[in-house]
Amino acid sequence: MLNKILKTNEFIVFMILVGLSIVVGAINPAFFSLATLFDTLRGSIVYFIMAFGLLPIMISGGVDISFVAIAAVSSYATHMFLISRGYQGGVFLYFVIACVIGILMGLLNGILVTRFKLPVFDVSLATYTMWFGFNLFFIGATANFDLPKGTIGYYANFLLTVKDPFAGTTGLHESILYVIAIGLFMWWFLKYTTIGRGVYAIGGNRDVAIRSGFPVNRIMLIIFGIMGFMSAIAGVTMAFLSRNFNPVIFINQPLDVLAAIILGGAAITGGRGTVVGTTLGVLLIQVINRALILTGIPVEWQRLVVGVILILFTSIPALRERRMKRIGHTTEITQPG
Amino acid sequence: MEPKPAKTSMVNRGLFSMRPVVAQIDRQTILLLGVFVALVAFFGFTRDTFLTERSITSMAFQLPEIGVLALAMMIPILTGGINLSVNAISNLGAVLAGLFLVKLVPQEVVSAQPALYVLLAFSIVLVIGVVTGIINGLLVGYIGVPPILATLATMTFFTGISTGLTGGKTVTGFPDQVGYIGSESFLTIPIPFIIFVLVTVLTYILLFQTSFGFKTRMMGSNPTASMFSGVNNRTVIMRVYIVSGIFAAITGILVMSRTMSAAIEYGSTTYVLLTILICVLAYIVPGFGNVFNMFLAVLILQVISTGFHMVLLGVRGSSFFKDFSWGVLMILIFIINYFMRGKKAQE
Repeated sequence: MLNKILKTNEFIVFMILVGLSIVVGAINPAFFSLATLFDTLRGSIVYFIMAFGLLPIMISGGVDISFVAIAAVSSYATHMFLISRGYQGGVFLYFVIACVIGILMGLLNGILVTRFKLPVFDVSLATYTMWFGFNLFFIGATANFDLPKGTIGYYANFLLTVKDPFAGTTGLHESILYVIAIGLFMWWFLKYTTIGRGVYAIGGNRDVAIRSGFPVNRIMLIIFGIMGFMSAIAGVTMAFLSRNFNPVIFINQPLDVLAAIILGGAAITGGRGTVVGTTLGVLLIQVINRALILTGIPVEWQRLVVGVILILFTSIPALRERRMKRIGHTTEITQPG
Repeated sequence: MEPKPAKTSMVNRGLFSMRPVVAQIDRQTILLLGVFVALVAFFGFTRDTFLTERSITSMAFQLPEIGVLALAMMIPILTGGINLSVNAISNLGAVLAGLFLVKLVPQEVVSAQPALYVLLAFSIVLVIGVVTGIINGLLVGYIGVPPILATLATMTFFTGISTGLTGGKTVTGFPDQVGYIGSESFLTIPIPFIIFVLVTVLTYILLFQTSFGFKTRMMGSNPTASMFSGVNNRTVIMRVYIVSGIFAAITGILVMSRTMSAAIEYGSTTYVLLTILICVLAYIVPGFGNVFNMFLAVLILQVISTGFHMVLLGVRGSSFFKDFSWGVLMILIFIINYFMRGKKAQE
């Protein structure tokens, strides 16, 4: 039993995370503080939410990048609509409207994928380009800092606060609760529901999943809906945490989120991936980012270090897998059907 | 390296006898050609300035960069891979060549023999293309990292090198000779466009007239089968990424020459996604691809970009409308493809 845990991918990622934290902490003791922990968590919140939403798509064998566009359009359009109506209430209505828009946008991807039998990646590339263009042209091209009265204090709704000599007063934001709720939901959904098991079945072998009686198209629509829903939550949360609504929010981030999920052990060809692994993958990327600042690496060389770390972290599992299976490479990223 | 099997040369002869240029025309070509003609007609009628020599020349100066970069993306996709680092490679090459011209060699030496040093700088870019290609090839072919991950990592790595060396600043102050390729025309045809056509023809020859091309496509359609047919998949992957790197480097030269500068963020993520979009429009899938369709897809994107720019001149945020229309066009082409090819082909 213990041996089995030690061999899982999650455990390896966890060890890397712990090892990295010890090294960084040794160089700069400021790393081991509640302020750093809260700051890391605050930075991770939206990535957790987006990664959880994207995870089922990855497990089903698809690669989607349009989730960032969904986050941008659903949050920005909601905001511009409510502001034009003179809305002064709280954040709840924002989440409701954005989630409806997000689900519809996710379903559009899903319909294109299932009805016209298109590769997920190709569809998402088209909708990514289309939605960002739509947002910028039809809705607005500038960030909006004009928040309704009821939402102004939201960014500082801390569950716990700490005073830190370096970072000033910082705290654990309440949206970490959404992350926990969403994480638990996704864990339950993927592990204990028939639909969740169907997602793994589709990723493992689509034809077998169809023959086994899984309603493949319906499952695909559901997980695209979930993706849209989560992206909308992430978009609105990010906007409130940074106190402005930006039409191109996350535009350069889709690959970062994908990298986090894959570092967490999800296979890009589908069939593999867990909520725990994804959580660790997101944390790992955030810790690397913090580590670069705290260890005093010059800003202009930080990206190089991230590149080297990414090369190492992707090579190690690949070498491990290569020992098991020695056949060429396959990534069916643009394979039709 | 591997013995030349008699089979390959037979296949090559077979291809020659198929009248290869005609073989390059398929249903997708007709669809793209139709879209292209319709777009040109639409913009030609709505704006008098669209079909003038000036606007056509400006389009011919703009599209080669993205066109050559798209070919750099196409070849890995044919093998079932992808190369997200293409734009990082072209920027790295341009930055290193720029630093060579501006910082490494004293200005007096460069100005004494500018042509020689500019040629040296351009060869540096090409060497960078080869080296970066070898790194990608090692990661994908020999270590076995999934291409999307490997090239995502190297994209960050290559951009990291250029960021570190320049401190994020744009490199400028090149001798005038650098700009020759990007601004001059030969017999009224812009030189970048000539280079684009040459690279397109080269890609065609490489993919459809050589044993390397045959192996590349075979590996794309079925890596296991190609391995058991005696193809060394690893060396094919290595060569594919080297060629991709060289094409990306050529883009670097074009950008450097047209803008007379080298910037680490030039094009950035947009260019990478745009090249994939072109490959998708041209219906490039592992094992099967058509160079002529790539050419048409590049033309279509440029026509949309320039056309909407003219039609919406003066409208707020008009440059964003082209992104919207690219996405819509892509979805429409998917749907038309679905009905044209029928359900059987999609399974």
